Order: sequence, then structure tokens, then C-alpha cells
Amino acid sequence: MANPTQLGFQDASSPIMEELVEFHDHALMVALAICSLVLYLLTLMLMEKLSSNTVDAQEVELIWTILPAIVLVLLALPSLQILYMMDELDEPDLTIKAIGHQWYWTYEYTDFKDLTFDSYMVPTTELLPGHFRLLEVDHRLVIPMESPIRIIVTADDVLHSWAIPTLGVKTDAIPGRLNQTSFITTRPGIFYGQCSEICGANHSYMPIVVESTPLIHFEAWSSLLSS
Amino acid sequence: QSFKLLGFLDVKSVPCARESVLYGSLGSLVVGLGHFLATSRVRRSCDFAVGGFICTMLGYWFYCRYNLAQQRIRQRMLKEGMRNRILFEGSSLDPERKQTSSERSDS
Repeated sequence: MANPTQLGFQDASSPIMEELVEFHDHALMVALAICSLVLYLLTLMLMEKLSSNTVDAQEVELIWTILPAIVLVLLALPSLQILYMMDELDEPDLTIKAIGHQWYWTYEYTDFKDLTFDSYMVPTTELLPGHFRLLEVDHRLVIPMESPIRIIVTADDVLHSWAIPTLGVKTDAIPGRLNQTSFITTRPGIFYGQCSEICGANHSYMPIVVESTPLIHFEAWSSLLSS
Repeated sequence: QSFKLLGFLDVKSVPCARESVLYGSLGSLVVGLGHFLATSRVRRSCDFAVGGFICTMLGYWFYCRYNLAQQRIRQRMLKEGMRNRILFEGSSLDPERKQTSSERSDS
């Protein structure tokens, strides 16, 4: 989860998010170069007298057409690479359905046995010491780590969005439509997210919690729940 | 604590950023000063200094990020190799065991 007053990304917990963070760093460096140039040009212009001696400016027009094109290519190439990488789907080990309701999530594991449960936010008055306000849920989405997971997201009533920043996942939950996303968690842990599409009075009170565990613990958990 | 250049680039936490900006500053100084010493034109030297800063900074940035990407790939291969070694050592799937048995059969 984010620290208080945090502005930047959370640490990445999936390969796609690692790529996104690297691309973001690259884009910021290009932005720094452009801002430095613009600041310098502004300073120069503030020191010049106003005049209208310029008749034509063929060379500078060529420069300020070609340079931005180069900058756009420098940004577009890694961006498109990541975009297509996000759409790759290695055969997922597990498919989970996430259904958005007002104002909770339902998760269905139907690959092997029918396992369905609702995930409600834990109210502030019922939090245990060490728990996070407005982020904890009564039943977490448990997944095996380092395995490709496919999540099929939909909604039962209004628009919602299933999002987990540290995994680089945000998928809209639209009634009557199935949206698919996939990810691999690179390490065990508990990853928090919140509904990311305005859905009514309690839109801020339907968080998402993913618990990534080694496979042996995931098997134990699913056996426990299905029995 | 973070140190953000122009309010958005955190040079402390972004890999290669600090070195890029520092090398860019050095490059700017060298190019600007060199041009001034050669031509004694202040205004044009400042233009060259800014251009040198941008080119050196971006040039080192790409070089450093490329090396970082290669290092990450090597780290992932090493991690995968170590895990496979631990999992399969001594078992029938151990590649070193297969190699040893093929050497024995050759001799």
C-alpha cells in the first residue's frame, strides 16, 4: 500500500509494473530535458528587446519539427512495447472471476471446484491493531505466487473498476461485459487496491486485497474453504 | 527523503538519474566553456552549453539504462538457474547428472 503523502508509484510486485515504472522514469528524464530547454529559451526571451525583424525562419522551423518527432519516437517505442506485452497471455494457471457489486466484490474460483465468496470492507470500528483503515477486507483474494493468473472482471449493477497499483492492474467492471486481465506476482505478500470507478455512495469503501502465497499454502487455503 | 529536480524527477530513487544529471552538467560546462574559449561569443556559448547538457544527459541515460536492463536480465537468469539447481539437484532431471552419465557412456 502507499505511504502517507506518497506521490510516486508503489514498489512493483509484477513484471509488467516493473516495466511501467522503468518507462515512467524514462519519460520523466525526457520531460526534464525538454523542460530545461524551454526554461532556457524563456530566460533568453525575457532578456531580449521586443522586435519584429524576423522575416523567415526556415532553419528553426525545421528544427522544431524534427526534434519533437524524434522525442515522440523515443517515447512511443517503449510505450508500444509495454502495451503489447500487457496483452500477452501465457496459459494462466488459474482463472478467477471478480464481480463488482454495490458495494463489495465477489470472487469465484471455478476452475476445479465451485468456490465463491464475497469480500466486504472491514469497518473502522472493527479493525484489529496493525490493520489499515478503509483497506482491509473480511475475505482476501488468495492466489499462488509466481503463477500466471487470469482475472475476469464484470459487474452486477453499475460500473466499478478492479485495480491494484502495485501489480499494475486496473480493469473496468462493466455490467453485461467480461473484461480480462492477467498478472504474475513476483513475491509473496498482501497487495491493496480500491475501486476505481465512481459507483455510488460507498465507492470509497469497497477495497480489493490480494494475498499472494506459495502454492502449498494456496492449496491448503482452497481446501479449507471448499470443505 | 527525495530530491526532485524541477519538482518531478527524483534523482535519489530513480536508477541512473543522478549520474545522468551530473554527467550532463559536466558535459555542459566542457562544451560551453570550450566554445567560449574558442570563439569568445557568450550568447552562442550558452546555447551550446544547454545543448551539451541535454545531449550528454540523454546520452548517458540511454547507455546506463541499457546496461541496467542487461543486468536485470542476467539477475533473472541467475535466479531461475539457482532455483532449478536447488529443485533438480540429485534427481533424474538434473542436467549435470545427464551430462556426467553421457560422458561415462562415451568413455
